[in-house]
Amino acid sequence: MKEKATLMIVNSVYQLFTALHIRHTLLRGKQTELLLTDLLPGASDYTQRLQESRLFERILYAKTAKLCRQYVSGEAEKIKEGYEKTDSIFRWILNDEPADYEAVYFANFDTFSRMLACRLYERHPQFIWYEDGFSSYVIDYLKEDRAMVNRTEEGKKIGELVTNTLLYEPRLAMRGDGIPNRRLPKVSLGNQRLRECMNAVFAYQKPQQWEDFLFLEQSFRAEGITTNDLSLMEECRHTIGEGRFLVKPHPRNKENTAFEQGLTRKYDCDVPWELILLNGDARRWNLLTVCSNAALTGRLVFGLDIPTVMLYRLFLGKVLWKEDAVLMRYLRKFWREFSGRHYYVPGTVYELRNILEYLGGR
Amino acid sequence: MEEKIKVSVIIPVYQVEQYLERAVDSVLAQSLDELEIILVDDGSEDASGWICDCYARTYPQKIRVIHKENEGLGMARNTGVELARGEYIAFLDSDDTAESQMYQKMYEKAMEEDYDMVMCDVRILYVEEGKESVVQTFAEKDIDLAEYLIRGNNITYSVNKLYARRIWERERYKKMLFEDIALIPALVTRYPHIGYVQEPFYCYYRRANTISTTFTGSMIDIIDAFSAFLDDSDPHFREEVVYCTAKQLYWNMFQSRALFQADFIEFLKKYEKDFRLNPYLRKDQKTRKILDFIHRDVIPEHLICVSKEEDISEKFIEAVKEYFPRGKLTLREIQKEEIKKYPSCVERAMEQGDMEFVREYAGLRILYEQGGILLQPDMRVQLNLKRMRLNRIFFGFESEEEINGGCLGAVKEHYVIRALLDSYEEENIFNQALLPLKERIRDFLILHFDLKVNGRNQLLKEEIAIYLPSILTFDMQDGENCCKKVIGDLPDGYQAVSDAVLRMWSARLMENWNLYKRERDRKEKRTGQENAPPPVLTADSLDVEEQIRQVAETYENSTCWKLTRPLRALAGIFGK
Repeated sequence: MKEKATLMIVNSVYQLFTALHIRHTLLRGKQTELLLTDLLPGASDYTQRLQESRLFERILYAKTAKLCRQYVSGEAEKIKEGYEKTDSIFRWILNDEPADYEAVYFANFDTFSRMLACRLYERHPQFIWYEDGFSSYVIDYLKEDRAMVNRTEEGKKIGELVTNTLLYEPRLAMRGDGIPNRRLPKVSLGNQRLRECMNAVFAYQKPQQWEDFLFLEQSFRAEGITTNDLSLMEECRHTIGEGRFLVKPHPRNKENTAFEQGLTRKYDCDVPWELILLNGDARRWNLLTVCSNAALTGRLVFGLDIPTVMLYRLFLGKVLWKEDAVLMRYLRKFWREFSGRHYYVPGTVYELRNILEYLGGR
Repeated sequence: MEEKIKVSVIIPVYQVEQYLERAVDSVLAQSLDELEIILVDDGSEDASGWICDCYARTYPQKIRVIHKENEGLGMARNTGVELARGEYIAFLDSDDTAESQMYQKMYEKAMEEDYDMVMCDVRILYVEEGKESVVQTFAEKDIDLAEYLIRGNNITYSVNKLYARRIWERERYKKMLFEDIALIPALVTRYPHIGYVQEPFYCYYRRANTISTTFTGSMIDIIDAFSAFLDDSDPHFREEVVYCTAKQLYWNMFQSRALFQADFIEFLKKYEKDFRLNPYLRKDQKTRKILDFIHRDVIPEHLICVSKEEDISEKFIEAVKEYFPRGKLTLREIQKEEIKKYPSCVERAMEQGDMEFVREYAGLRILYEQGGILLQPDMRVQLNLKRMRLNRIFFGFESEEEINGGCLGAVKEHYVIRALLDSYEEENIFNQALLPLKERIRDFLILHFDLKVNGRNQLLKEEIAIYLPSILTFDMQDGENCCKKVIGDLPDGYQAVSDAVLRMWSARLMENWNLYKRERDRKEKRTGQENAPPPVLTADSLDVEEQIRQVAETYENSTCWKLTRPLRALAGIFGK
């Protein structure tokens, strides 16, 4: 009897990075199909290179961006009606017919994943939720009062199929949703095959010249949140000294404000941050960020102790993680239990200056 | 046959060339003829000694002179007592005078009932102000000692009393300041047969810059003087003596010597039982206020400096001894063995030769274990530092943004110092980069106590006092400095100040002045438009309004403002 395939759904470069890692480890030797969505910037380029890599039996493509904004909230009846149209929606947004899968690896409880779960429900496939940054550690996406869809019969089906969550640090999880957390193996820096594969997929080129301090911007502006992150960048740049400070803009921010305000030169690299780490090209850097999980991945994904300065205690602005005790607990737990010796969370601007000077600022 | 000397008047003399003749002449003019004058020149360096000799030559039958090395007022009086031949002894300070009837009337009173002691009233002449007042020793003509101790005045004075010479066979002044307080009140209780002449015979000239009006470190002797009063008095009068001391203490704590309040609080604690159980004090609402202070913590008078011996200058030690003569001074250098007990970052600092880091930690430890004031060797204490002891913990700004790690203090085992010490055990930037203590303190206070980094006075959580740079770092010559930083080899009286602090200081003065002017103009305007509606305060302006009110209050309460109030009122009436 022919083995049923496994499907991996990918919405972002970080997810693609992790999916490739899973393919090389947990799903090694298994029939696996990959589904890229239009939420992944440059998905068509990746499709071509992935096909060349022959890592997956099939590469599917789906336009889910619009769909994922629908059937989440509003009237239960409308959501139900939407889910009843799954087959026609899938025919419309997918470039090929999905197969009958033994397991589905997904990273987001979005409308597409939920509809797929409904469609496959009777055949009881395993739905395996793989990590997508710190939200996978702290957010209970299936909680009923989180969204109307969680209170509908259709929306709940994915929960019934999810068998476990794959996390790089299961002990950090604090969602409280009852889904078992399993360890996702750390990415081995010595795995040359994986590195070559990833480099090919992402068309990686070693950065020509990078500054000593890299500020990882977040998507506050894209979300319409007024913050002091630009002042923090200015403070860092001032302490570090010009020519040694670079801001990596967040892809969701439409404007590169830090560049426009003269705080940084243009960031000219579009490969995932983790790939730079995998290639060993970023390990002498110092990372600065308000609370981007990308700054933690060095530790979570590779077990590296990259000098990292988290600025969330100096951050002013109304954002979820400042108001949600669980998110704050996550950051604290990471700090206490998982951070390396070179992980700093300054509580004052003076402490920040001292840290930056200690890390080699002027 | 030699004439019987009824009264020996002992006049200690020290650097009083301008007043001495007036004093001696007042005794020579006494109606009592059978008296002798003993001038004890206590090592004067002005013309006083010469004036004494002149008097002795002119009045050899009446005046004797002793020249001795300087030992202070009490010892000079003792010398006079040794030489005295009169039936009775009196003391006159060389800048005061006695009314012409004084010794005759008092001697006659003494004779009436063979009194051990006779007292009179005191006329106080305020020299600069040109005023005078009389302080009545007791309301009744006859002295009932218990009543006198409770309600009387002038008890501590040596000079308004005539003493039977026999008393002095066993009694002497101690070598200290406030020798009067240490001896006379206790003496009064042991010789309760006391006569009283209700006349202001003794003229006490009170002027600025005398021991009564200026402060020195050795004034801490007043505590010993109070202890002597309590310990050496006749136990039969214990309750009255305790109450009498309480009244003296009240006056000293809240009016005349508030600078020494921490020392008085320690004294109160020592005699807590006596003060708390005292029946007179219980009924005296005003004086019993001192009891509120018994449980107030004060920082021990313990000055700590952990430093290389050669870095501790003589001037550092001189300043400490001058202003804290009774204080405990801990001067230490780090011993290699002790490092083993310290956190690993301190050990690493030692290995890297960062001794400042090691010393700061060691100093902080002593501060925690014993309490006191931690000093860097480049700091110079001032007498005002005593005020800081009233805090439970204090720090000071060095500039608008920096804390001064050179002078800080705390009571024993204060939790903030414990927390700072514990932070040496943690993984943090302060330990990794071996940052100076001041960085650690500032950030700790910001995080836990919401310190505003503005270089201004603050009281955090009603306990942690933070002071201006002019209080604990730079002496801006405004009389407020408690401890100053010595930068370079500058002559006395000079203070090197960073330009940032100078700018901040000038801005602050201007700000206060402008706030005051604004308030003054507004008041004038309001007087002109009495029916105008009051200004509307917005939430934003409330802070500013409060600042204005405080500054205006300071001006309004200043002596100069009060003194000129009548003139300003007149100017208002007559259209300026």
